[in-house]
Amino acid sequence: MTATLGRFLVDLSLLVATSGAMVGFAAGFRPSASGARLARRFAYAFSALMTAANLVMFYALLTHDFSVSYVAQVGSRSLPTWVTIASLWSSLEGSILFWGLVMSIYIFVATFATRRDHPEYMPFAIGVWLACAAFFAFLIAGPAQPFLTIASPLADGPGPNPLLQNHILMAVHPPFLYLGFVGMTIPFGLACAALLTGRLGHAFLRPLRTWLLLPWTFLTVAIMLGGWWSYEVLGWGGYWAWDPVENASFLPWLTATAALHSAIVMERKGTLKGWTVTLVLSTFLLTIFGTFLTRSGVFNSVHSFTQSSIGPTILVFLAIALVFSVVLLATRIDRLTAEGEITAGASRETVFLANNLLFVVFTFTVLIGTVFPLVVEATKGTQMSVGRPYFDKMAVPIGLALLFLMGVGPALPWGRATGEQMRRSLLPPAIGGALAAAIGWATGVRHGWTLLTLAFGGYTLWITVREIWLPVRQRMRARGEGVGEAIVASQIHRGRRRLAAYIVHAAAVIVIVSIAVSSTMGKVSEVRLNQGQTTKIGGYELKFIGAEERNEPHRISTAARFEVRREGKLVRVMEPAMNLYQGQREPIGTPDVMTTLTHDLYLSVMSIDAAAQVVGLHSMVNPMVGWIWIAVGFMGLGGLMALIPSRRRPVTDRDDLMTELRPIESAPVTSLVEEGG
Amino acid sequence: MNRRVLLVGLAITIPAIILFVVSLGRDPHKVRSPLVGRVAPDFTLLEAGSGAVVRLSSLRGKPVVLNFWATWCVPCFAEHGVLTEASRQLGPNVQFLGVVYDDKEEKILQFLKENGSAYPTLNDGGGKTAIAYGVYGVPETFFIDPSGKIVAKYEGPLTPQLLDSNLQKAAGRS
Repeated sequence: MTATLGRFLVDLSLLVATSGAMVGFAAGFRPSASGARLARRFAYAFSALMTAANLVMFYALLTHDFSVSYVAQVGSRSLPTWVTIASLWSSLEGSILFWGLVMSIYIFVATFATRRDHPEYMPFAIGVWLACAAFFAFLIAGPAQPFLTIASPLADGPGPNPLLQNHILMAVHPPFLYLGFVGMTIPFGLACAALLTGRLGHAFLRPLRTWLLLPWTFLTVAIMLGGWWSYEVLGWGGYWAWDPVENASFLPWLTATAALHSAIVMERKGTLKGWTVTLVLSTFLLTIFGTFLTRSGVFNSVHSFTQSSIGPTILVFLAIALVFSVVLLATRIDRLTAEGEITAGASRETVFLANNLLFVVFTFTVLIGTVFPLVVEATKGTQMSVGRPYFDKMAVPIGLALLFLMGVGPALPWGRATGEQMRRSLLPPAIGGALAAAIGWATGVRHGWTLLTLAFGGYTLWITVREIWLPVRQRMRARGEGVGEAIVASQIHRGRRRLAAYIVHAAAVIVIVSIAVSSTMGKVSEVRLNQGQTTKIGGYELKFIGAEERNEPHRISTAARFEVRREGKLVRVMEPAMNLYQGQREPIGTPDVMTTLTHDLYLSVMSIDAAAQVVGLHSMVNPMVGWIWIAVGFMGLGGLMALIPSRRRPVTDRDDLMTELRPIESAPVTSLVEEGG
Repeated sequence: MNRRVLLVGLAITIPAIILFVVSLGRDPHKVRSPLVGRVAPDFTLLEAGSGAVVRLSSLRGKPVVLNFWATWCVPCFAEHGVLTEASRQLGPNVQFLGVVYDDKEEKILQFLKENGSAYPTLNDGGGKTAIAYGVYGVPETFFIDPSGKIVAKYEGPLTPQLLDSNLQKAAGRS
């Protein structure tokens, strides 16, 4: 019964999305108020149906209705409730259904928020969104159907993959990732609409940026949460492995970040329109590419779902989207005429250009490293993999250059900087760089790249803080305001977006520096200990007190207890464990991590024998890792802060029309403006 | 129409699409064993329970099915029935050998008592044989021809069909 209802809702949502896509395109090509309204209604209907289908699945999971195939596959009565909820995205079919939910929320909010604006663009955008929605509804209705009826259901199920039950972050990382990935559909639709109408004016840039920034923020946090999960759960002590699927989440992040920057140049200078649109399209295509990698079974990783039949379907969608995007770009890009130009010379816009080129080079570098094993296997038949050394070797210099530009860009004015201006703004921050490198040297950093990272980080941080401080000081001098008042007035009320950007930059500096320090300055030791024996690492003394087996409803956990002492004083008792989940053959380690401001003490069990009281211990001291999570949190906050609309008069469509060179078919446009949803 | 954009775009996307289509059938879990086509590494192991000595090289002259498994491995459980049944049917024409990896003698004997046995089960305590064969997960099965050469390797639980087709190779009738 539940399964039938679910299938019905999914089928209906497929029908609605398909029809809505056609209505959207029709209303885009022959603008009419009623057509646009109808397209919006289809969008709302799709959102309602897809959300309802997800609610049905949540209901089935929570009531342990094993007659629904997906529940039979991942449900279990012995699970804590949060695992049951998270199991919606723990396996292939459910994760695609959840994708549908996220998409329906995005489409609803984006349609609703723009219902009175941009009437010439929006039907196309809705058409593109619903076309993507139709594809995912098709996946759910067909190859990844989670609502099959099981005639004679069992009394209990196996539960989801134990790796996904091992940590609460697993309930958080996938939703954020989906919010990031799926959300890229919205700017994609808007960019397609700009190309289809052949116009990209000032007013339409706003929604494009906003809707790019929102999923970018989620994606940033999601990538960090994934790293954190890997660090806290997998037990190897790292957070990033250049795994193909990690790369798949990083690639759209790179192009989206580039697009956010080129959009600023577009806003200021009226150029780079085609380029920005290309980056937005690439971002979306890379999310689909990433989905293909995870769902097709082409790669083996902690993220890959078992070999599934949806690989070919996603590939067909990817191919259509790729060809559609290329043809659309080729036919329409010349219509997006620039209103200004970038002149050569030292200026903020040339730094933006360099930044964009670096991001694109970075994207290609990671992309090539990711697909290279496929190329080799397809052409030569031999198996190989591209490992960390390649990625590290390429990423470190590019990352450093980006770190440096992140300082230089904001320090330079728009237009053209004079020699005097450059000296004044670029030289003093070198003190910050020298200071950071000196602190590094004093605390024992000898690794060349790390010292360079510290120097660039200090340089950029100096500029970032100065850029935040300058308007405050100006206001204090000009108006005699106090510090607090000036900060509120100049940063929170007026320059919020600017402040948000600098918060993100400052946080990014900390992330890059922390990554450099933690990956080159750590200490590792592997020992085998009998009960009562001790080992030392990085100023800590670890005493193995004993191993203990605990039976929990869904797993048997064998924990090793350690007393952690520093300078003779007991700091903490830590318990890394080995868990054996029901119905699983291999045990899974759960490390125990003690985070301090400067470093983490990371204990993970390699082997454990509760009977003999012997433990194989992998212990690490990882400096600065905690800073990565904190700083990425700030990047997310900065992103959200930039999304809060400012009180300034919004740019209207009138400005938009005035900046356009192409004549507008004004009649339908004005009638649409008045219609207003 | 901007021809340059079209050409560059297609130059990137078309090869990518072709590459993905070609890669679609790829199974990342299948790692080709360098042992296939070479003489099987020899080993001497004790049979679980009886303690009888079994040496691989002494079994030349007939095809050998060498199955790595463990009692804690769920897929091995299903596969055990397939192998036992096949061994009973084929009788002395094909030598089946089970090598138990990372396990305890009592557990092995308990498993065999509950699920039956039709061929020698060897206890690879310390896992040296598994290492020599590059086993990275159980079950894994090696098919060895009468001359002692490995002709095929299969990862994952065997079905009667898979067992049959691989045995054809081992018997030199592929």
